[in-house]
Amino acid sequence: MRGNLAAVGRALAFVLLALALCGVIFQLAGYSAIEMFQSIADGAFLNPNAWQGSLRWAMPLFITACGVVVSFRSGYFNVGAQGQFYIGAIGSTFVVDFLNGYPAPLVVPLAFVTAIVCGALWAAWPGYLRVASGADEVITTLMGNFIASLILIYVTGGILKDPSGTGQVMASRPVAEAYRISSEVGLSPAIVGIAVAVGVLTWVLVNRTAFGVLCGLAGRNPTMVVWQGARMSQLGLAAFALSGALAGLAGVIEVLGPNGRLVSGFLPTHGFTAILIALVAGLSVAGTAVVSLFFGGLAAASLYLPVLAGLPAAAIDIINAAIALFITARAAPGLAWLLPRRHAAGGA
Amino acid sequence: MIAESPPALRCRNVSVRYGDLAALTEVSVAFAPKLIHAVVGQNGAGKTTFARVVAGIVRPVSGTLEIDDREIALGHVNRSRAAGVELVHQSFALPPSFTVAETMEFGARRGRPIFTRRELEERWRRHLENLGVQARLGDRIRDLPVESQQGVEIARALVADARLLILDEPTAVLSPSGVETLFQRLRGLKASGVTLLLVLHKIREVLAVADTVTVLRGGRLIEGPVAANSVDARELSAAIIGAEAEKALTMRDEEALVGSDLPADARHLVAAKPKAPAILVADRLSTRPDPEGPALGEVSLAIAPGEIVGVAGVEGNGQRTLVRALTGLAQVESGRIRLGDQDLVGLSTGERRARGLRVIPFERNSEGLSLSSSLWENWSARQLLRGSPLRLISPARFRGECDRALKRWDVRYSTTLQPAGSLSGGNAQKLILAREVDDDASFVIAAQPTRGLDVGATAFVWKSLRDATARGCGVLLISSDLDELFDISDRLVVMLSGRIAAEFWPPFRLGDVGAAMTGAR
Amino acid sequence: MEEFLVATLRYGTPLVYVTMAGVLAQRAGVWNLGLEGLMIIGCCASVLGFVQTGSLLVGFGLAIAICVLASALLWFVVEKLRANPIIAGLGLTGLGLGGTDLAVQAIYGSQAMVNAPYGLPRLGPEFGAFGVLSILVALMPFVVFLVWVVLRRTRFGLQLAACGEHPFAARSVGVNPSTMRLIALCAGGVLCALGGMELALGSLTIFAYGMTAGRGFMAFSAVIFGAGHPLASAAAALFFSIVGAIGIRAQLLFGNRVPNDLLLALPYIATVIGVWVSARLRGGATTSGFGELRDY
Repeated sequence: MRGNLAAVGRALAFVLLALALCGVIFQLAGYSAIEMFQSIADGAFLNPNAWQGSLRWAMPLFITACGVVVSFRSGYFNVGAQGQFYIGAIGSTFVVDFLNGYPAPLVVPLAFVTAIVCGALWAAWPGYLRVASGADEVITTLMGNFIASLILIYVTGGILKDPSGTGQVMASRPVAEAYRISSEVGLSPAIVGIAVAVGVLTWVLVNRTAFGVLCGLAGRNPTMVVWQGARMSQLGLAAFALSGALAGLAGVIEVLGPNGRLVSGFLPTHGFTAILIALVAGLSVAGTAVVSLFFGGLAAASLYLPVLAGLPAAAIDIINAAIALFITARAAPGLAWLLPRRHAAGGA
Repeated sequence: MIAESPPALRCRNVSVRYGDLAALTEVSVAFAPKLIHAVVGQNGAGKTTFARVVAGIVRPVSGTLEIDDREIALGHVNRSRAAGVELVHQSFALPPSFTVAETMEFGARRGRPIFTRRELEERWRRHLENLGVQARLGDRIRDLPVESQQGVEIARALVADARLLILDEPTAVLSPSGVETLFQRLRGLKASGVTLLLVLHKIREVLAVADTVTVLRGGRLIEGPVAANSVDARELSAAIIGAEAEKALTMRDEEALVGSDLPADARHLVAAKPKAPAILVADRLSTRPDPEGPALGEVSLAIAPGEIVGVAGVEGNGQRTLVRALTGLAQVESGRIRLGDQDLVGLSTGERRARGLRVIPFERNSEGLSLSSSLWENWSARQLLRGSPLRLISPARFRGECDRALKRWDVRYSTTLQPAGSLSGGNAQKLILAREVDDDASFVIAAQPTRGLDVGATAFVWKSLRDATARGCGVLLISSDLDELFDISDRLVVMLSGRIAAEFWPPFRLGDVGAAMTGAR
Repeated sequence: MEEFLVATLRYGTPLVYVTMAGVLAQRAGVWNLGLEGLMIIGCCASVLGFVQTGSLLVGFGLAIAICVLASALLWFVVEKLRANPIIAGLGLTGLGLGGTDLAVQAIYGSQAMVNAPYGLPRLGPEFGAFGVLSILVALMPFVVFLVWVVLRRTRFGLQLAACGEHPFAARSVGVNPSTMRLIALCAGGVLCALGGMELALGSLTIFAYGMTAGRGFMAFSAVIFGAGHPLASAAAALFFSIVGAIGIRAQLLFGNRVPNDLLLALPYIATVIGVWVSARLRGGATTSGFGELRDY
């Protein structure tokens, strides 16, 4: 337990360091750092409606982050959550658009399955290139993100385009009311239920199945599990597909839930934020749930800042990026006491 | 007996700590110039640390260092090099993609810093010729045989005018004839006025080459430099091993540990074991060349239950490929492998393990264990791989079983949740033994199982392998330590370029085995 | 044909500069995924410095200064705090994107673009069709050659390569890998600034949010494709630019029949294929193999 506490302390210390860097950047850009942080806290947690907004953003982030936990634990840097999220959203929009008019009990589950499968497939090709040839998954998944957002622009401007829409924002036709799983608020029982179910299942998978424990071992030392007789290609492909599937699931939730339609370039930082959540949580599922709330709050604040405080939303991107910069740090001058101590080595 | 001239190297009260571990404690010693000095001791005695302190790579917490009577700053490679100290590392510190000429140049301290390829090779050709190193300047390090790599590393150390050359375990990777060539080269260097400091652990080699010998044990100086021709091999071996540890060892094991080469005919009065049908048979096994070693060429082996077969050979002659082919990690091109009455070719590593094959891999810290994972995760890896991957498991039950197993194997640890990296080398190896040498094991492949272990741990590994054979296991032991192989093998095969070059039965003779290792036979 | 070459050089020159930055970092043993961020900082700082003071030189200096500073920050985080270079690099990229956005908003309100009055000096009409290219395009081959000489034909380059390939070997001849990495990253910062400047002020005269559009990541894969060799990596970068130029050309030719957005994806697809091919050829050197989340 002491090791866990130390890890939490270390994560907090580096988040604070990141925030300090952000403060410097805000000041240099000519804003008051104090005012900025104050407004962000207002937008995220302090104003009366903030919690609703924070939770709304936290749910899909948490689901995607669970997927990131699975792939990162297995040692695969699938940084393509954004693309997998988009492709899942696109797949489900096709289903609800083409099957418009069919009964909801048929269409909605089909949309979910399609999103999950699409997300999984969009993660599976970089996964396959990685396990079959060793092609670096960081680059392939990043490129997958760029390609997916171009596909999103293409479908929202073409096949799925809403003819009545204005020229400014390209979007699909709105999803029929019958297929929606929540209102704009985005906190329906269905979404909360799905998030809880994903959380519980991921926790069990990671901590209480042979697959999960092996993935953990493989992530820290793939050579060792290969010598033990594991097939890394299957393990890795499963981890990729699973993380893509969860990102796709988050995609369909956004489309059938709060968004209500597919919008070109929507939530451009969703995948990156989910990766951050998983890393800040130290790749633990329970931690991911807590950290999701914090980043959900930041996401809510990024809507609040320009509208109600007159401050640029880019501030939130900077905070996220600064946390990413520091969060994997393992050593800190002067912070050595936070690091877990070595266990006394037995003599032999 | 130390000469009147000022010492080439004098250390006073040098202490080194790695975290909680004291690697060197208050070592004070002086070495006379223009001689060959041997520093001996068991693994973990602090020899390598001592060498690195002198070279400036490790900074001691206290102490002073004088080269030719001038004190030098501690922990600065450049200061040590400027004073004429150069170090040749045990596993050579040469970037594998560099050419021989580039290797010379990157450590050079003089000469034009910009060059053409031609100029570069011209610059270093003479240097290599003077030292008698057989390597073309355009060859890449990774393509060189291990003897040439060592030659290149020595040449690299001599690009500046070294006055004190330290060699860390230079004989560990060489064949017996390679060792002889090396010693010739060292005597040549001594004649040209260089002081040499050799870190060794075989008494036989000390007596063959050194002028003085210094013993370290547990990071402390046990015996100052004494003239090598005046020491008694048996006393020296006692000083190296320590009186307490000695009691627990058989004389045969003790000799193997220090390579003391005492009465050869006293070794291995073998009781010929009854011939049982082989448990593991490899029949004309061939593979493609592997990124990790040469191809196997028609390797045939038959190992009976209760038999320990040793594999000798200069490193990189196909031992890795053999182990990987038997384990199922390298593709077999032709030939058969049989374990008991089952054909293994075509089965995955996991399936082979399920049939009783066990492996202690070459690299303990990368292939054997995940250092940042907990003890119980490391211990249960093999069991996790059996059955459906999605079945539910109970970590608490695994922890309990792991606890019992580790207690039985006498592993020193505080909790099964601690990372494997927090164990000492010996305990880490015991953890691997606890996992691999279980009751279901029918054949154990032990690859370099004692590398880097101290006396007690080494003896423990030997004992557990012998115990396994007593239960009817077959054992294939791959080692680069001939003394170890001679001590515990029932039979010995020598690998050369991916083939089995020779087979020996006890009593083993160093000269014969060594000749087979280099293909001289 | 000339037009096509011009389009390739326009697309490719910023990419080659940034690729050289990636090569330096990779040689020294750092996988620099912050290239994308450094490049956008280069774009933004050069345009803002220029527009605010009216002097191209100030823009040039500002871009170099900030890029070097940001590179040093990455070095500090990766070397001194021992952060995972992949994640930290992505963080630096995010910082570049967010920071440039913030800077533009702070100065111009909610405007998404900044226009510069004119761009870098051009080669001039005596070069025919190539006259429209900026002087940084002409400088590019010399920079590639310089990087090659430094890395392959100087003792410094050998020492740098040793730091990446075998840091212990470097340490044992008295070379400090950490310092060498700082030098490599900062030199890379200068190159990223040049690349960003060429992108923003070479063919265009504009800064727009996210205008690098993954070019930094492409440069990174060009380094993988070229196995860290300066000439091979530059060739890989030019290959990606040819694909990009083909995409632009195809838009002009059959923009009405083939969707534009999918043609824009061509360089990304080429990059994936490039990484895959180099993995097939060389057995796959992956960046995350160096990850700190792993235990060796």
